[in-house]
Amino acid sequence: MKVWRLLMVGIVIAGLLAACTAPPAGTSGSTGKAMPKAADGTLLRKIQDRGKIVVGVKYDVPMFGLLNPTSNKVEGFDVDVAKEIAAAIFGNPDAIEYKEAVSKNRIPFLQDGTVDLVISTMTVNAEREGQIDFSNVYYLAGQSLLVPKASAIASINDLAGKKVGTAKGSTSEQNIRKMAPKADVQLFDGYAEAVAAMDAGRLDAVTTDDNILIGFQAKEPNKWKLVGGQFTKEPYGIGIAKGHPETVEMVNKVLADLKKSGKWKELYKKNIPTTPPEPPIDNWRQIVGQ
Amino acid sequence: MNAESWNLLLRIGLITTAGLSIAAGLISLVLGTVIGIFRVSPVGPLRVLASGYVEFFRNIPLLICLAFIFYGLPKAGITFPIFEAGVIGLSVYTAAFVAEVVRAGLQSIGHGQIEAGRALGLSYIQMLRLVLLPQVFGMVIPPLGTVFIALVKNTSVASAIVVPELMYQAEVIAGRYFYPNVFLIAGFMYLIITLPLALLVNVMEKRSQIGHRR
Amino acid sequence: MPSGPIIAFERVNKFFGHHQVLNDISFQIAEGEVIVVFGPSGGGKSTMIRCINRLEPINSGHIVVDDIPVHDPKTDINRLRAEVGMVFQHFNLFPHLTALDNITLAPVNVRKTPRNEAEGQAMKLLERVGIPEKAHAYPGELSGGQQQRVAIARGLAMRPKIMLFDEPTSALDPEMIKEVLDVMVSLAKDGMTMVVVTHEMGFARQVAHRMMFLDAGRMIETGTPQQIFTDPQHDRTKLFLSQILHQ
Repeated sequence: MKVWRLLMVGIVIAGLLAACTAPPAGTSGSTGKAMPKAADGTLLRKIQDRGKIVVGVKYDVPMFGLLNPTSNKVEGFDVDVAKEIAAAIFGNPDAIEYKEAVSKNRIPFLQDGTVDLVISTMTVNAEREGQIDFSNVYYLAGQSLLVPKASAIASINDLAGKKVGTAKGSTSEQNIRKMAPKADVQLFDGYAEAVAAMDAGRLDAVTTDDNILIGFQAKEPNKWKLVGGQFTKEPYGIGIAKGHPETVEMVNKVLADLKKSGKWKELYKKNIPTTPPEPPIDNWRQIVGQ
Repeated sequence: MNAESWNLLLRIGLITTAGLSIAAGLISLVLGTVIGIFRVSPVGPLRVLASGYVEFFRNIPLLICLAFIFYGLPKAGITFPIFEAGVIGLSVYTAAFVAEVVRAGLQSIGHGQIEAGRALGLSYIQMLRLVLLPQVFGMVIPPLGTVFIALVKNTSVASAIVVPELMYQAEVIAGRYFYPNVFLIAGFMYLIITLPLALLVNVMEKRSQIGHRR
Repeated sequence: MPSGPIIAFERVNKFFGHHQVLNDISFQIAEGEVIVVFGPSGGGKSTMIRCINRLEPINSGHIVVDDIPVHDPKTDINRLRAEVGMVFQHFNLFPHLTALDNITLAPVNVRKTPRNEAEGQAMKLLERVGIPEKAHAYPGELSGGQQQRVAIARGLAMRPKIMLFDEPTSALDPEMIKEVLDVMVSLAKDGMTMVVVTHEMGFARQVAHRMMFLDAGRMIETGTPQQIFTDPQHDRTKLFLSQILHQ
């Protein structure tokens, strides 16, 4: 009997010790420690065994995912969120391999396992939820209009017969078709191409989420202006291939800590040239009122 | 639920692709023939001009050529409508390849025939029209067919400058309805254009051989 | 029969790079004369005959054909060429045209003769060269001898004052040489002015008024066939004749 008790005490102490040495889950920063290994066969375990996480981000969207030509590194809010996740998994914010994910290829990238996560200004909606899983909302954007400074277009109601550019495969396309059915919508491979076409005088407006447009506007403030406010709610989520609840849970934990700790506002301030709002609530359906 | 609108988009795409191919095919045939003739012309500056043209357009990506017309020319005050921009880009690009085929054809005609023509008092233009070009067109049908089949496939690059052709529509459908198999369908639709073209080239080739009976 | 000169060379020199192919050539040919030019290969025979219709430029000297200065840049060379028919060693027919169309090409397009008239003439010429039944055959369907006869008919179609023959039989199989020579003999007997580069000495004996021996770009000797064959003045001529006659 004594032997049994001693054994029990030993196990309890060992358990307590283990609990103490484990890193406080979700702690960010480069000094953090790696989280314990996840169960065999899970995506998270695969990521841990690989020693780095593969993340699809945009390379051409200022403030969120933009390739800096001098440093040859991608920078932006999405990239910083990816770093928080890497720090949580490995204790190292740089244990990331970036892949360029454009709107039309990011879902296939997840489905075929090219990337583990997509953090690329991707709006959560029911149609996409049929294809992939999403984390909680990490950013709330809204679709708006970028127009030349001298343009007479002031709102979504002024677009009849106007040439409006956006990206192939984006929710912006579906929204603008619904909300301005008389606009002549032209679809580009990316927003940079659409803005270049507007610069060439071929478009009257470019429409997508306001945060993307703010980036283009901030770069050339004498050329462009934002008009029309947020005429949609675009809750951004992190995309994960279907069937990996442990990874979704891990990502949600990182996001919850970001929002709670105030770090979210820091990242916002670092990347986006407007005053940070409160972090968005978690549930996208609540945001869009579905 | 989307079948009807897909169908419509793909049909628009097919028609646009066919239109691009035909328009750019005709323009590049004429332009390329003229440049091919310049390449072997007795006038030095014309030869230099034509060689420069061919080497420039043969050695740049088509996308650059289209992007220049679409994004670049408007800055110089020249804005072609989208479809026309696609036709022009494809035409000037393909003309370089047509010119090379025509040049090779012209150079393969024996010098003796040119001498015979000169001895008969034919002018340079008459020589081209009556002696050289009729033979060249017989000869160059197979290589020209290859150039035009490449042109049909190259029209897909015009999707990048929002020409609403097959590839563009396929990308729109794939993005809007998450249906990547649409590219397979688009691939078959390209075959609808290219296979009959290949057959036509074969028939014309046989016919021109009968005509010559060499 | 020979009257005033229709072809005149005066101190003609021509170079290919540093190599002199024609060296101070002067001669005159009267209307109706038949001239046979012979000599070793590379001696300048073909070059000389090709200078007559400016297929080759010259470096110095003068050539006058039918009172037209051939190498004067102001001369309408295509008009002159229409006056001078030419037959080549390798026939040089246009392979995409029938025999008839080869013959009518220049009359219809250069002289603007109505097509039916040109075709009537072409048929007569084909009869003259003995192959009217080949009018609608393509060159690829004809034997070498037939092709060369079509080429002669093509040369005659512009009703030229002069016919040039540049080794017309040397690319032919032996059994076809006679049919071509027969046509040339009948042409000579009709009074055509002819300059013929050939080694067919039988032809020369039969119809030539004069022969010219060219070697290394120089006119070594000229004379009637009688003189050349029986009493050549130069050793080079003797040597060359002995070589080709004793083959």
